[in-house]
Amino acid sequence: MKRLRFVSILFCFLISSVFLAAQQRGFEEEMRFANYLIGKSLYPEAIDVLSGMDTTGMSPEQKDVFFYTMGWAAYQFKQLELAEVSLMKVSAQSEEYRKSRAFAAYTLAHRGHYTRAEAIYRTVPAQDSVEAELIRMQHAGLALLQKQYQRYDSLRKGFNYSSYLFQQEEAKLDKFYSEMLAHKNKSPFLAGLYSAVIPGAGKWYAGKKKQAIAAFLPVASLGAVAYEAYRKGGVKSARFIVFGSIFSLFYIGNIWGSALSVNVERNEFNREYENKILFNMHIPLRNLYNQ
Amino acid sequence: MKIKSFLTCIFLCAIFTTSRAQESDWLKEGDRLMQQGDYFHASVCYERVLFEGGNNAALLFNAVTGKLNCLKAEKKFAEADRFLKGILIPDFSNEQKFFLAEQRMLCAYLAGQFENCISQADLMKILFPSEYKSNLAAILRVLSYNELQQWKEAEQAWKEWAAAVDSMGLQNPYQNLPKFKSEEKAERLATFIPGAGQFYAGRPVEALIGILFQAAGVYYGVTSFLNHYYLSAWAGAGIFGSFHMGGVRRSKALVRGYNKKKMAAFNAMVRAQMTGK
Repeated sequence: MKRLRFVSILFCFLISSVFLAAQQRGFEEEMRFANYLIGKSLYPEAIDVLSGMDTTGMSPEQKDVFFYTMGWAAYQFKQLELAEVSLMKVSAQSEEYRKSRAFAAYTLAHRGHYTRAEAIYRTVPAQDSVEAELIRMQHAGLALLQKQYQRYDSLRKGFNYSSYLFQQEEAKLDKFYSEMLAHKNKSPFLAGLYSAVIPGAGKWYAGKKKQAIAAFLPVASLGAVAYEAYRKGGVKSARFIVFGSIFSLFYIGNIWGSALSVNVERNEFNREYENKILFNMHIPLRNLYNQ
Repeated sequence: MKIKSFLTCIFLCAIFTTSRAQESDWLKEGDRLMQQGDYFHASVCYERVLFEGGNNAALLFNAVTGKLNCLKAEKKFAEADRFLKGILIPDFSNEQKFFLAEQRMLCAYLAGQFENCISQADLMKILFPSEYKSNLAAILRVLSYNELQQWKEAEQAWKEWAAAVDSMGLQNPYQNLPKFKSEEKAERLATFIPGAGQFYAGRPVEALIGILFQAAGVYYGVTSFLNHYYLSAWAGAGIFGSFHMGGVRRSKALVRGYNKKKMAAFNAMVRAQMTGK
């Protein structure tokens, strides 16, 4: 009887060990499979596999590995919201904590959530002076994105331009800062006014020179034809009414288009510099954390 | 003693029998999902089988063809070509490797990578000299050369195919190549004769409409000039000029479209001749 009880207990212990080992093996195999898919650039498939895993039974270390892998796969696949959520769940005990935080903050910056990005960058514990300068550079980039020029100016005083990892990008941010400062915002009202006086002049003022010529020629031609029709046939002549109407349409359109073109030019400028700043914020992150 | 041995055996069997069953389970699951049209999840199941690896070449081959069929069903031909390029499983038989090489060539053609398709076909001749009786490879070579408009090479490839099959009664389609029209000629015609470019491109109605607008511009300009409306005459000349320049550009675009249709019709004819469908 005692022997039977001992054997039963031993059997239960063995079965439990098998079960726990199977669970551990299950997690490791799934993670290996997910990494295999990531290695083949099959990011949607990797995300799908990871999404099917149950995190409730995972140990804290396993959760860190899981969320980091999920976040990185989502980041590679440009699913930035999922990347941010997953990377933010990586705990401070993980080796990938700093990298996860930095990239989570970057995804927020990419999506226009600058304040939240800044808050997260502040939580990244810099390991050395190089990393500290990188974080400062990211803050400077965010300041530039928000057009906080004074703040950028004070942050860039901490640039050493000595680390090969991001000295070029620091210099580029400075260049963008100068160019953005020098850029003068044009007034839509003035653009409209100029075009009312000389058709196309408002577009020239907005920096669209070819469009200015393209706006001037038809308005001027129609105006001349309408004037000739008025001079020779009078106000009630059919020729004057037709060409006068077409001229009026083009003239008003020219004024309206000039006012709009200022906004278009401003949006184009902002978008161009936003992309450039984000690009130059991204490269140092990859240089430092993917070594 | 007996009980101990019995329990030990159960323990060991439990560990080792689970892993072997998993790969074929994933394969079955993949087949089931593919039949339901869920190609994405089916692909994941097939990738699991490939990931587990092992020595079962038949299992791996089924996984490769399963995933390939999923990608083809989703019309992701370029991705299918990349997938097959990355398959490095030497345990496949020559027949299986030949089949995969054929599929790779087909996917390259369907993805519009005609030069890639031709180089795959040439590579097959070297890798499988004795098995190279692939009708599919010969057909795809000819069609790819057609798409690239390399007529000499296409004709040579067609003749090689015709020599390999029973070619009695088969007419050489390259003796009557489609007559393509010249974009430069259309442009020149439209420049000097209003509407002539569109007529040349085979669009008489468009040509007449273009002539009408240009004539209206000229008429308006001339009558304005005669009535001493000189600036209006200039506007009339402008109308004529705008429609004239538009007609020149339109003629080129029409000829391009015409040539594309001719090309597609010729290719369809050659394909029908070579496949018998």
